Amino acid sequence: MADHFAAFSFVDRITEYEPGRRARGRYFIPADIAAFPSCLVAEAVGQLAAWVSMAHIGFRGRPVAALANETRFCSDARPGDTLDLAVDIESCDEHAVAYAGQALVNGNEVVELVDCLGPMLPVEEFDSPVEMEKRFELIRGEGAQRGRFKGVDAPGVVRTGGEPGVSASATLSVPESAPFFRDHFPRRPVFPATLLLDSQIRFALDLANEAGFWPAGTRPAPARMTHVKMRSFIPPGAVLLLGAEIGPLQDSVATIKLSARMDDKTAATARLEVVARKV
Amino acid sequence: MTQAQISREDIAAVLPTVSATIADALGCDVEEVTPDASLIDDLDAESIDFLDMVFRLERAFKVKIPRGKIVENARGTLTEAEFEQNGIVTDVGLKQLKDYLSEVPADRFKTPTKVKDIPRLFTTTTFAKLVIAAQRETKA
Repeated sequence: MADHFAAFSFVDRITEYEPGRRARGRYFIPADIAAFPSCLVAEAVGQLAAWVSMAHIGFRGRPVAALANETRFCSDARPGDTLDLAVDIESCDEHAVAYAGQALVNGNEVVELVDCLGPMLPVEEFDSPVEMEKRFELIRGEGAQRGRFKGVDAPGVVRTGGEPGVSASATLSVPESAPFFRDHFPRRPVFPATLLLDSQIRFALDLANEAGFWPAGTRPAPARMTHVKMRSFIPPGAVLLLGAEIGPLQDSVATIKLSARMDDKTAATARLEVVARKV
Repeated sequence: MTQAQISREDIAAVLPTVSATIADALGCDVEEVTPDASLIDDLDAESIDFLDMVFRLERAFKVKIPRGKIVENARGTLTEAEFEQNGIVTDVGLKQLKDYLSEVPADRFKTPTKVKDIPRLFTTTTFAKLVIAAQRETKA
């Protein structure tokens, strides 16, 4: 399957490895893609933590995105950059993995994850445990073939209402099919939480741009995402109702409460802190 | 977790932080997180919220709370067969459960009690007691 370990896999090589405790790794962002959003950088860090935790429990379970208490967006990664990834596993067992991590480009921090927790589910629900173990040996050894990621198309987000600069609602249509579903995951396609968060950030920035409190010559930019909580798996073809509410500017930071609902239930919540950056 | 082991004073000492932590996890006002609020029935907590609350409480109190073992701990020294039969808590199991969850108002225990409904009984004070037990475990 051409897209397996290619269309949504962001660890090419594990360069340092202390089983169950910590690891460092690399991902070479292909130079020929249009962009590599910060949420995909966070995904790369999470995937490194996932490899360490899955290996620790003998590939019986895999963590799924659930809680990310804090994600700091420090700078941007660009096509052609090499991500240096690092994770520290705080705890890992059959139930869950708790970890922190970061990604750097040329020594400069791009993204930092603090206090993340992923509950473990049986690997075989999502992928072949044998294939996963083989892949782990590959990236622990010579490393995976670079440049197989071809980018992802942002799902369609259509604004449906709200009050400009205060709140907004929108629909997000998850595609019925996309290459990343064959990698995330081959046996159970799930819309990646980080792609949802990427869409929510762009949607929130549109709302923030409408707020009249930003100093002249600046534009709002994401600084920190907190309280990320994924409550449901999002299948191909799902339609999500997005919500965003922006609070007042306090100490140069505006906090936007984000929600995503699916089938009349809350599927995900998060808070995004936005700051002014010079244009 | 019996009243004899954990005093009201012990609970009062940790309750403000426990309530604030639960409110943060659930995104609700701390005033709603009363000591005997049912986390599921009164505060709409779901399974992911329980994971979140435990995770945050571990950080707030610098303790380790075993995940996925709250119901197992409620069994005490009873075997699984003594505690439940076909998903229903036995009479002896219910007595053990009421002892373990002594903070839960008696009228919330249904007859019969299904094992899958045990988390519905958990209150803010239940989590305060979990924290105290974890603190003692850490010191031991």
